[in-house]
Amino acid sequence: MTAVTDEDHTDRAQHAGTSEKDLPGGDRTAEGERAMSQPSYEAGVRENNRHARVEDGAPSGRTDSASAWDDGLIARRATEENAGSEHVAVVETRALTPQTAVPLTYDRPLRARLDALRELVGLSRTRLDGRTLAEAGRVLDESAARRRLSGQHTVVAIAGATGSGKSQLFNALAGVPISETGVRRPTTATPIACSWSDGAASLIERLGIPPRLRRRPLQNPETEAQLRGLVLVDLPDHDSAAVQHREQVDRVLALVDAVIWVVDPEKYADAVLHERYLRPMAGHAEVMFIVLNQTDRLPGEATHQVLDDLRRLLDEDGIALGEYGDPGATVLALSALTGDGVGELREALGQFVAERGAPARRISADLDAAAAELRPLYAARRRTGLSEEARDEFSARLADAVGASAAGEAAERAWLRNANRACGTPWLRLWRWYRDRSEPTTGRLPLRAQADEEATARQRVEQAVRTLADRASTGLPAPWAQAVREAAVRGSHGLSEALDELAVRAGLPPGRPPRPGWWPVAVLAQVSMTILQVMGGVWLLGQIIGFMAPNLGVPVLLMAAGIIGGPIVEWSCRMAARGPARRYGTDAERRLRESAAGCGRARVLDPVAAELLRYREVREQYGRVTGVGNGPR
Amino acid sequence: MVTLDVRPQLLDALSALRDSVAAARFPLPLAGAPRARANRDELLAQLDDYLVPRLREPEAPLLAVVGGSTGAGKSTLVNSLVGRRVSESGVLRPTTRTPVLVCHPEDHHWFSGMRVLPDLTRVWVPHQETGDDLLAPGEDPARVLRVETADTMPRGLALLDAPDIDSLVADNRVLAAELVCAADIWVMVTTAARYADAVPWHLLRTAKEYDVTLVTVLDRVPHQVVSEVSRQYGALLTKAGLGDVPRFTVPELPESAWGSGLLPATAVASLRTWLVHLAQDPAAREHAMARTAHGMLDSLKARLPELAGAAAAQHAAALRLTNAVDGAYDTEHARVRGRLQAGAVLAGDALKRWRAFPLDCSAGELLDALVESLATLLLCSVTAADERIREAWQREPAARAPELTEREPSLESAEDRIGMAVRRWRRELEEYAEEEVRDLDRSVAPDPEVVAVLVATALLGGRRARSAGEGLGERIGAHGALRLRDRGGRLLTEHLDRVMNAERERRLAPLDALEVHPEPQAELIAALSVLQKER
Repeated sequence: MTAVTDEDHTDRAQHAGTSEKDLPGGDRTAEGERAMSQPSYEAGVRENNRHARVEDGAPSGRTDSASAWDDGLIARRATEENAGSEHVAVVETRALTPQTAVPLTYDRPLRARLDALRELVGLSRTRLDGRTLAEAGRVLDESAARRRLSGQHTVVAIAGATGSGKSQLFNALAGVPISETGVRRPTTATPIACSWSDGAASLIERLGIPPRLRRRPLQNPETEAQLRGLVLVDLPDHDSAAVQHREQVDRVLALVDAVIWVVDPEKYADAVLHERYLRPMAGHAEVMFIVLNQTDRLPGEATHQVLDDLRRLLDEDGIALGEYGDPGATVLALSALTGDGVGELREALGQFVAERGAPARRISADLDAAAAELRPLYAARRRTGLSEEARDEFSARLADAVGASAAGEAAERAWLRNANRACGTPWLRLWRWYRDRSEPTTGRLPLRAQADEEATARQRVEQAVRTLADRASTGLPAPWAQAVREAAVRGSHGLSEALDELAVRAGLPPGRPPRPGWWPVAVLAQVSMTILQVMGGVWLLGQIIGFMAPNLGVPVLLMAAGIIGGPIVEWSCRMAARGPARRYGTDAERRLRESAAGCGRARVLDPVAAELLRYREVREQYGRVTGVGNGPR
Repeated sequence: MVTLDVRPQLLDALSALRDSVAAARFPLPLAGAPRARANRDELLAQLDDYLVPRLREPEAPLLAVVGGSTGAGKSTLVNSLVGRRVSESGVLRPTTRTPVLVCHPEDHHWFSGMRVLPDLTRVWVPHQETGDDLLAPGEDPARVLRVETADTMPRGLALLDAPDIDSLVADNRVLAAELVCAADIWVMVTTAARYADAVPWHLLRTAKEYDVTLVTVLDRVPHQVVSEVSRQYGALLTKAGLGDVPRFTVPELPESAWGSGLLPATAVASLRTWLVHLAQDPAAREHAMARTAHGMLDSLKARLPELAGAAAAQHAAALRLTNAVDGAYDTEHARVRGRLQAGAVLAGDALKRWRAFPLDCSAGELLDALVESLATLLLCSVTAADERIREAWQREPAARAPELTEREPSLESAEDRIGMAVRRWRRELEEYAEEEVRDLDRSVAPDPEVVAVLVATALLGGRRARSAGEGLGERIGAHGALRLRDRGGRLLTEHLDRVMNAERERRLAPLDALEVHPEPQAELIAALSVLQKER
């Protein structure tokens, strides 16, 4: 604690010094310079605070509250009586409670969604570049940062165009002229904060508002009770020619819990407001107030007309309006000058702050926006995954590439040919031999040739992989489609060589195909038929030359049996050989096909499936982020 | 003192310039393309609506366009200057959706024709009725100009009440910019609450850039703060280098607000006097007119090169895309030729069939397998080229043009086209083989199909089909074999080239359809230099 107090003393000294320097002049450039140099100083303070906490383990609330009333020297720019009342307030709070800032807690669904987003970002880092994930990372950081800070407070920013009366409204709500108002445009150059209760120092610090710009409202027990927990921030304009104002607004708007948009009858339809701010923030409708200021400039009935027109424009922007109890933006008309309608706003604000739901709702809306932005990166346009059909087609293409069906067919025919040759009648074999001799012998040679190098059709493999990658990646968001394609290409390296090798191994053993058991019997039968023919022939010949007794019947019968039986045996052999030949062929084909498919599966299909699985996992995670059960289909 | 008189050469040069500006296209979505498109449209609007008509007829009445942000009180100002309600004013924004032109009845003929603002349909409405009711059904209210006449207007001056320059309705914004471009005198209206807004200042800076005759009106200033606001505004103007611009202040009166729409004549007297003086004093009139016209002519000097630069960037991007396609197809073409020579076609199915030929495989089957394998090789290289192009185009922002992404040639159709080409090659090869066999005077003529399949194998099989060549020689003689192989090889190269070129043309067709040429750049610069010479 001592460390802290010391620190605060020096702080105060520093402030006093700086403020004295710039008070009389009110020089804008000096102010701007200081605003620039502020962050480093701020970081120092934060560092000190943390240091103190580590040192004595005191509850952080005490440091917070201490800096809360030590920081601002609120009375410097306010009038005397304000300073007096301020002083009283300080004493009061100190007497009441050493308020500890209860950190914010998010409800379970929101926590789950944030966790899912964190995991999603982690899972996607390898696939998406940092810029795409920046917004999601920012939401995570902000949600974590906000969670560490007070949950008792709601930070509400007042934003609007120049001359709409933001500062006027700010002062009207605070009850004291805190923020400078004027006709000189743009008036407010830096954000000013005003806190209705203690313990919000760290929150305001997060907005980058230096202590000298932190104020307290007019002490009024009634309003204080109503708005307890409110931290109001007056922003510069967003539409003036001063660009740095716009940057300030954009920065702070990303950090606050809720926004009051102040519009006036002259500017309520400005394109800048609607196109640059309201439309992109349409998802944040629940933490938005839209206030039509300066109704005193409108004749009586015109206020309603303008308000209705404003509602119509907001509706066109896609902002849900909180009418009839629906969740959505609150639209009010008021005049900060006359005080007309300010009470209503105060009431609405009081209720809003008392609910303490704004920070969580804001984070939730941020999450929705980030998720919507990421949607094209995660949500598939249609059902994804590798269909069974595509896998089969891939295997079939690989089988084609190694020539499985051709090999099978060739094997079947070779078997048949051998069977025919073995079981055919000798006369037929004689004729065939003669014919073969007369013809050139092309094509026979390679049968005995060495095994080929590059027997696999490279182009077919390449095409198969490409088709598969295309099929697998259709409908996937671009980065994941790319990943799938890469996995397929990586797997296809060396696939052709592997298939070459495999074709040799799984192919048929060289030489003659095996013979079935009935083959010798068939050969024997064919031989006996030939013998019968020969016997019959010899017998007949014997009779003709009178060597034997004439008996025409038996030898003719024998010979006829041989002549008819030979082809019958051949024909029945062929019939009998068909089945085994086909079996032999399909077996050869199947062996090639299966080993090719196995090779393809191991090298390409499995990595692709793994990549698809990873995508599915990420998509489910994304579904969890959006809050939908099992993700977009 | 600059003067304006009709000069046909200058007009010719201008219309040539106009045509070349109109011909410039920026279809590729490059970083500068939207800006270039906007610049081109603006330039066209200025040439058509202002510069050409003004140089053609210097005696036409001056056109003062009242422009400003929504709610600045433009309509009220116009009504007050005219002295009666010609343009509706109200509390709901945007109020003015149809631009209104007010002139003296005798000047009416200048504006009823299509001399200025030829894009806008004229409606002439008797002043008792409101304009919107009389619109022809289906007519876009944004593209309509209402012409009103009032005796109170001085001759030789017309006032145009434009829609808001920062309207929520995007069409209105475009129209407002177009109308402002048509003005001899730009009347910029702003208010006490708005004088620091960014949008009107853009317009003021543009006015300065073009050196037009400009006047600003600070409208709706509450009495209490008149002097302070006026001083502040003056300071801002001076800072922006516009200190010498005539400035008028109109106080906020109960009438100015909402409704009645007419300020007392005293409130706008000074502005009215200034305008009337400008319209009726010949010297002042001439000066005001010439200043705007010459300012715009001068601004062309900077704007046309910018446009030409954008056109050149478009062409360069288109060239890069074309080069990517050419490079991909060239690489693939070389690769497919190399693989053909290496005998990649005789692999897999075809190789197995060749091994079984002629005992266990017929010539027809082998030829089928070869042709199919060849088709796969071609298809493979075409898809590989497409993939290369896709990768290269991914790095090009210009390739995101919808015309280029939508008409992606589908794989199936490429397969069909290649299949057709390969089948045609086969048929022609078979015809060659038949011819060769027919010319052969041998007792036993070999089967032409076998000859065809041997030629095909020899052509496609590279080194490993050496035996096919030998077999061919045995069948039809060495000479015949050589001749047949030569012819078949030439035929193959021809078909291969044709397929690859056809696919390349298909790929380039959408890009060619965008018609990004190098000519616009040169034409723009040439037209500008001609114009410079004529001045």
